[in-house]
Amino acid sequence: MTTPTAPEDRYALCVQNVSLGYGEKMILENINFCVEHRQIVTVLGGSGCGKTTLMKGLVGLLEPAKGRFEVYGKDISALGQGGSFDWVRKRTGVLFQSGALIGSLTLAENVALPIREFSNVPGDMVEEIVGLKLAMVRLGGYGGYYPAELSGGMKKRAGLARALALDPNILFCDEPTGGLDPIIAAQIDNLLLELNHLLAITMVVITHDLPTIMAISDRSIMLDADARGIIASGAPQQMENSSDPRVYDFFHRQAPRARL
Amino acid sequence: MERGSPFETGTSSEGELLVSFKAPITFENAAEIWEGANNLIAQNSNGSFVLDLSRVTRMDSAGVAFLRLFQRLCRRRGVRFRIQSAPPSIERFLDFFERDEPAQGPPSPPKGSPVARLGAFLVGRAAELQEFADFCRSFFSVAARALRRPGRFRWRESLYYLQLAGADAMTILFLITLLLGVVMAFQAAIQLKQFGANIFVADLVSLALARELAPVFTAMLLAGRSSSFFAAEIGSMKVGEELDALAVMGFNLTEFITLPKVLALMIVAPLLTMWANFAGIIGAIGVCGVSLDITPYAFLHEVFTAVTFGDIAGGLLKAEVFATLIALVGCFRGFQTTMGADSVGRQTTAAVVSGLFLIIFSDAILTVLFYLLGW
Ligand SMILES: Nc1ncnc2c1ncn2[C@@H]1O[C@H](COP(=O)(O)OP(=O)(O)O)[C@@H](O)[C@H]1O
Ligand SMILES: [Mg+2]
Repeated sequence: MTTPTAPEDRYALCVQNVSLGYGEKMILENINFCVEHRQIVTVLGGSGCGKTTLMKGLVGLLEPAKGRFEVYGKDISALGQGGSFDWVRKRTGVLFQSGALIGSLTLAENVALPIREFSNVPGDMVEEIVGLKLAMVRLGGYGGYYPAELSGGMKKRAGLARALALDPNILFCDEPTGGLDPIIAAQIDNLLLELNHLLAITMVVITHDLPTIMAISDRSIMLDADARGIIASGAPQQMENSSDPRVYDFFHRQAPRARL
Repeated sequence: MERGSPFETGTSSEGELLVSFKAPITFENAAEIWEGANNLIAQNSNGSFVLDLSRVTRMDSAGVAFLRLFQRLCRRRGVRFRIQSAPPSIERFLDFFERDEPAQGPPSPPKGSPVARLGAFLVGRAAELQEFADFCRSFFSVAARALRRPGRFRWRESLYYLQLAGADAMTILFLITLLLGVVMAFQAAIQLKQFGANIFVADLVSLALARELAPVFTAMLLAGRSSSFFAAEIGSMKVGEELDALAVMGFNLTEFITLPKVLALMIVAPLLTMWANFAGIIGAIGVCGVSLDITPYAFLHEVFTAVTFGDIAGGLLKAEVFATLIALVGCFRGFQTTMGADSVGRQTTAAVVSGLFLIIFSDAILTVLFYLLGW
């Protein structure tokens, strides 16, 4: 049913004419963008502009009021439970803003959770994979710890390890470097880049961390709360010199000048 | 080789066992490969292995995990092992994981022997009792201070809890004590009928309700509904660092959090107890009317001669004591919440259990006390 020119051949993910909100209140309206395979797209914007809301839509937690989200050409809100839903789930990793680790499980158990659920690898191999993933985010040796015993940044890294557990094709990260010290943040940037190169992971990374944006973006999309949508998109190096004051101020870390 | 096996075996130029993989090593087939490899090692326990990866186009974490496990197994069995002709992409991939050789993190906290844990448990309970006593003491001193400055008191907060613990509990309490009245009247009727003393059912039911059962059942309901609510609410606030935020802003947590809750329960408890008395009597009147031919008028007349003001007041005083203890223990358990995972759930359970215990415990003391004082 797919033709060679179908967009899914080129794009891992497409947002088509989507309006998203909570109840009657619309946060984003008529959003359109696509993410090519192997691309890292960063979603930028000030606090409260709807970045997390957009991610909830992308991963199927929030039903769009209008339009559709397509992952590999499949409309995710039409997937329902079962076969294709699992197909997409297995290929998608999600890092939530707070890490969202299961508090009653240790780090190792948290990371093992999706592996045990979605694959049939034997127990000792699960442990080995968990060890690899934790080491990847510099948490080797912390497998026996409970989330409550970790700092915020460690929780976020553990959340990343869990998101990466099944080697997803698409990774969604909500502020992966928020609240981390600059050195760990740079390590996470490098990790994301390496994963992108080595495992060909497509990424949508929500962030307002300027160094991260500059380091990892193939393309950036900037949202704005007042415009309720995308106000700029492109390479961050170009957006930096944008004539739009909202974009310029964001990239130069300055408060908007009072307009006369 | 059996059909569909993920690898082929042969002999290398140096006489080693050559295992060449035919397909990607991924999550999909890692289990199968691992099983096959285990069999191979079991069959050739003193040979040496060469893994040929030249045809492996793709590998994911499961593949890396497989190679590591295989290597470790070989080392343990004293089997020699090497990898040959991995494509550059696979080589890079393996390198990527090699670099992140698990750092030795701090060891997990030790668990201790069963005896030590039992000891720690008992010491913990004793310390808890002491803490609860301290908690109550500090509550009463704060409450006394707050009463002198009623303007500062958070009345709106208390109204909310009045609604929650009082008004919202009325339906279920009515139902429970109505049925309690029915059951008691039946049980009493069976016995008293034998002596032709039907009318004393009214005395028995109303006295038991007023002095004992109405306050106890009301308190149990409060423990189940409100004490648990307080513990869960405070526990969530603790986990969300809201309590820390209030503390650094200079709020007295006892005054800000505990006082409105305790006060609310102290206000609703006597009212609910009267409501329970009322419902129980209705139930008993129903039974007496239907099965003992006692008219409601005769029943009530008997109640008003049997039950004195002292009986009612004693019951209300009990309810007041129960409610105070329940509210305090609910808040106390909430504050005891730690950052741990299941802590809110645990403390909520503990709040109800401690509440029930305190009700029965204080009831025993009060009953003996009332007896000694001749009330
Ligand atoms: N569960 C919710 N219900 C209603 N409104 C919400 C909810 N979550 C977020 N919002 C609103 O949506 C807007 C965008 O929030 P969010 O997507 O979290 O922003 P951010 O870009 O900082 O991640 C905010 O104005 C917020 O008030
Ligand atoms: Mg957000």
